[in-house]
Amino acid sequence: MATKNAEAIAAANKKYEWGFATDIEQDFAPKGLSEDTVRYISAKKGEPEWMLDWRLKAYRMWLELEAPDWAKLNVPPIDYQDAYYYAEPKVKPTLASLDELDPEIRRTYEKLGIPIEEQKVLAGVEGARKVAVDAVFDSVSVATTFRKELEAAGVIFRSISEAIREYPDLVRRWLGKVVPQRDNYFATLNSAVFSDGTFVYIPEGVRCPMELSTYFRINAENTGQFERTLIVADKGSYVSYLEGCTAPMRDENQLHAAVVELVALDDAEIKYSTVQNWYPGDENGLGGIYNFVTKRALCQGRNSKVSWTQVETGSAVTWKYPSCVLAGDGSVGEFYSVAVTNNLQQADTGTKMIHLGKNTRSTIVSKGISAGRSDNTYRGLVRVAPTAESVRNFTQCDSLLLGDQCGAHTVPYIEVRNPTATIEHEATTSKISDDQMFYATQRGLDQEAAVALIVNGFAREVLQQLPMEFAVEAQKLLGISLEGSVG
Amino acid sequence: MTLTLPSAREEAWRWTDLSGLPAIVAAVPDAGRDALALAAMPAAIASERTDTRLLFVDGVLHSSSTPGRVRLSAVDARTDHALGRHATADGWTLDLAPGQIANVEVVHVATGAASHVPAHVILAPDAVASVTETFVGDGWTNRFFRAELGKGARLMRAVRLLHASGFQSLRDEALLGEGASLVATVLGAGEGSSRVDALVTIAGEQAFAEYGGAMLARGEQRHEAAAVVRHAAPHGQSHQSWRAVADDRAVASLAARVEVARHAQKTDGIQSLKGLLLKRTATVNIKPELEIFADDVKCAHGATVGELDRQSLFYLASRGVDPARARAILTRAFVADALDRIGEEAVRDAFVADADRWLDA
Repeated sequence: MATKNAEAIAAANKKYEWGFATDIEQDFAPKGLSEDTVRYISAKKGEPEWMLDWRLKAYRMWLELEAPDWAKLNVPPIDYQDAYYYAEPKVKPTLASLDELDPEIRRTYEKLGIPIEEQKVLAGVEGARKVAVDAVFDSVSVATTFRKELEAAGVIFRSISEAIREYPDLVRRWLGKVVPQRDNYFATLNSAVFSDGTFVYIPEGVRCPMELSTYFRINAENTGQFERTLIVADKGSYVSYLEGCTAPMRDENQLHAAVVELVALDDAEIKYSTVQNWYPGDENGLGGIYNFVTKRALCQGRNSKVSWTQVETGSAVTWKYPSCVLAGDGSVGEFYSVAVTNNLQQADTGTKMIHLGKNTRSTIVSKGISAGRSDNTYRGLVRVAPTAESVRNFTQCDSLLLGDQCGAHTVPYIEVRNPTATIEHEATTSKISDDQMFYATQRGLDQEAAVALIVNGFAREVLQQLPMEFAVEAQKLLGISLEGSVG
Repeated sequence: MTLTLPSAREEAWRWTDLSGLPAIVAAVPDAGRDALALAAMPAAIASERTDTRLLFVDGVLHSSSTPGRVRLSAVDARTDHALGRHATADGWTLDLAPGQIANVEVVHVATGAASHVPAHVILAPDAVASVTETFVGDGWTNRFFRAELGKGARLMRAVRLLHASGFQSLRDEALLGEGASLVATVLGAGEGSSRVDALVTIAGEQAFAEYGGAMLARGEQRHEAAAVVRHAAPHGQSHQSWRAVADDRAVASLAARVEVARHAQKTDGIQSLKGLLLKRTATVNIKPELEIFADDVKCAHGATVGELDRQSLFYLASRGVDPARARAILTRAFVADALDRIGEEAVRDAFVADADRWLDA
């Protein structure tokens, strides 16, 4: 067992495929965080006064807060003064077509496998599914495609800085409504220094004509990336939003503290899918991204629905709990998650379902896969308020352990204050059995293919929730993350 | 003694309200109350097998006790648990030689003040002990109980919390040697609030631990059980089965954790946590937690919260049972699940009777 495991670990320590850095001149704000940094970022973005005030208010709150330590994570103290809070590619692209992009950036995208080319092809084909991309290259939105078609539908798809300039009333109305400035340490930090991000508004009754997607990528060494995403789906609208991330290989830990806010009004539906593949650190845990993300959806309207799907394979540390506040009667929250940890990765992830409205429903399906010497924690909360009649929740947390040096943890909180609620929770912990491996290898699969097959089967319930474009990438990622890890 | 209490900001104490304790600590015992009458109230369990009876009044041993094999003196077990560590006064120790058998019944009476008593049970290989504890009265009764079980030793532990008011805190720690067995059942059926903390460590191979019970809360009561079973050796088996019932504005909380250490392969850990809400103003909190570091283990947990099953109520109604009676029958069945674990008949009957008394009130 021990030798087998050692082999597995060795094989699993495959180099990070997406590890490279692009040389493009960058404009840095001086290292460190102070009021001046906040003012610099705001000025750099040409923000109105109210936005600067908002940021400064958050910054002052942040100074009073303490970093949370309740998660099952072992994070060395972060020196917030030793990081850059703003980096912008100097070659400022105009936002017309992809051809005007810096060729270096284009090459980076191609190396990343961002299917922009593929999407163009898709777009050119009659009747083919279209995907709009707002690519975030180190904090500044580089290109926005398909804007015209979206505009015809009335959909606003902008980087958040553009939106602040162009639609100040809309942004001001919703920014910080779901995740208030003082929400938590990392969200507050983000509120003060967020560099860029995405703003989406779907007007009443509109079904967004294409999947919207953003690629985040951390490029400059030592640059924290603070993205802010705000999606508002007006009455009866629908949008599917994809978020994918990769980052180049670096030896120093990079901080990422994003905030995502979703608002669904009456009968609206938002589907938010994430594939996260940031640099997880090498086999000794060196380097790797610190990922402290606050994602929350407010199902404000009647019969609104928000569905979170995430595939988490990257980052040295993941601290992320995409949540739903089910305020509207009959609203629905869903959370589908696959979290893979290998080597010395640590993931503490899960969801919160806050039931406030009548007849609200939520489904949680979490699949944790641990390999190497990693720790994988599911942490969740299902809360039923006294006002929430006839709530239904179903939670399933399954853990798969590959090897005997890793850990799988489940920390579900259930708080019920209304007797009409029906709450069910199930959890299992298992490993890939010798029988399964024997069966698969006996049918001619090699060990790696067998593990990939079994893991994909284990995660199938979640993967099938992903839009097609992502499902393929996600399956590939699962395979890469676990290659050779035979239990 | 300066009293430092954990705050609700600490993760393990977020459902607990200890704000009433300082006032109780400041209070003085009511010497005028008849402790014996109080102790007789829950009708001490009339098991013929009981060979040791201890009556503590405000933490002091009463002269009517029959100590048997139990030694009363300073206890050489310590804990760093936030409440248990306050139990530093003299307490009782039961130290059994190999193969010895003891049946201990302890009644704790409180008359309105705070008392802290530690206990230490040491079972040599193949020793068998049954320890039943009953808590009555008012005030803050804080107890620390530590058990060490040698190879093949067996401990049956049953605890009744029947306080009329105040707060009851209990810290249980047990260390199980090879093939040892612990079956512990807690019943919260009084009118006071409580917090039960347990840490059961399976230190020897093939040990067996069962820790569970029923917490019944009504009025403004807050009951909380926080039990951890730590598997530190292979082939261990554990079973945590808890039931929480909350009525009126009460809060009943269950937090159970199974920890499996790296080398504790072939562990079989089961958790079953169920909450029942009888009124819409009541709260049930549940946290079934797993912390697993070994890959060849079987750990399953199930948790449910809800009200009485409508289908069952309808079934009983269709058989002519009146609604109040039907609810009582179903609630009783819900609770009985957790109390059935008690092996000794006289003890089990007494516990079921206490639960019934609570349900009928």
